[in-house]
Amino acid sequence: MIAVLALLAGVLLGLWLDPTVPAALQPYLPIAVVAALDAVFGGVRAKLDRIFDDKQFVVSFISNVLVAALIVYLGDQLGVGGQLSTGVVVVLGVRIFGNVAAIRRHLFRA
Amino acid sequence: MSDDPGQSRRGPRGFTPDFLTELFRNPLDPGYADAAARLAKTGRAARSGWSVGPIGLVVVVLLGFLFAVAYRQTVAEEPGRAQARSGLVAQIKQRQGETDALSTRAEELREEVNRQREAALGGSHAARLRELEASTGLGRVRGDGVVVELADAPAGQDALSGTDAGPAQVIYLDLQSVANDLWGAGAEAIAINGQRLTSTSTIRSAGQAILVDFRPVTGPYEVSAIGPDGMRERYEASGSALTMRQVAKVTGVSFAVRDADDLTLPAAPEPRLRYAEPAVSPSVSSSGADESSGSGTSPSPSGGGR
Repeated sequence: MIAVLALLAGVLLGLWLDPTVPAALQPYLPIAVVAALDAVFGGVRAKLDRIFDDKQFVVSFISNVLVAALIVYLGDQLGVGGQLSTGVVVVLGVRIFGNVAAIRRHLFRA
Repeated sequence: MSDDPGQSRRGPRGFTPDFLTELFRNPLDPGYADAAARLAKTGRAARSGWSVGPIGLVVVVLLGFLFAVAYRQTVAEEPGRAQARSGLVAQIKQRQGETDALSTRAEELREEVNRQREAALGGSHAARLRELEASTGLGRVRGDGVVVELADAPAGQDALSGTDAGPAQVIYLDLQSVANDLWGAGAEAIAINGQRLTSTSTIRSAGQAILVDFRPVTGPYEVSAIGPDGMRERYEASGSALTMRQVAKVTGVSFAVRDADDLTLPAAPEPRLRYAEPAVSPSVSSSGADESSGSGTSPSPSGGGR
């Protein structure tokens, strides 16, 4: 429950502060969101599996976002453009789907 | 992604499923299982319920913050794009209107200048000037002649094949060759869709558009020419007419030649001579001034890039 409240607090904080994203960071934002979503669904699923671990959650979130940003940066530098980020989105998307399916099995037994 | 996904499964046999298989089979970060195993070994039970540790809470707040920022960013970008687009469209419309108004005004002023000049010169000089203007394309002309009509083929039924393989279109080379052969058939004045051709006119393409004297013309194209009797017969026998008939038969582009009485062709915009200067003083009395050598002959063929 506290986690949900914290999430809401973060959302409200973001809406209230309304920070401007520097132009240099803008291309990383969407991919960072996808990476963060992956961490969230992974965490929720682990919670339902009763194997949730704080440290694991924090580390996976931070490393996911950093690695995703790094891959986007690398793609830009190598000149392959959005194709590497497509790879990130595919991998993370598959994981999100898998985890959501597991959550669904937990919640609805189906 | 922080761990090798196959690590937890790496048994004594040394068999690891490939990355994608592992990804589909077990999308959860294997670190969770490891941590749980560690906890079970030390004997502490995993925390139950929805509570998270303080660092976890901070991260969750951060997560929400990230989502909100990304949302704001996406929403903020959208109207900007739409605005820029509609702004550009409005600017184009406005500039087009301004151009139209200005060219109308230029037309009026030119008429005025002509009238004043004729009043000032009077008599045979004015008539000679009018003649020169007519033959160089700077004056409006009337007369009987020929109209050549060209139009793109009607939109085909194969909308599936994409934009490249659309219906056959009239290209600038068609207009060039038609204009050149009309000159060849004896035309004294030619206009394409109301754009008078002069000795310096160009017919070229820029992307999908055809530009006549740097002004876009769109289909259906109407090439009007004023010339002597029998020009139609001579033109019909020319290369471009034969080619275009063949092209029309094969591709569906439409092509027609007809006689037309009492055509009025507008004047071409005043040419700006940037490098050439009149060799003699630009008085009308010096016969055959600079640009046109003899009033009867046609100017040089149009076409060719500038």
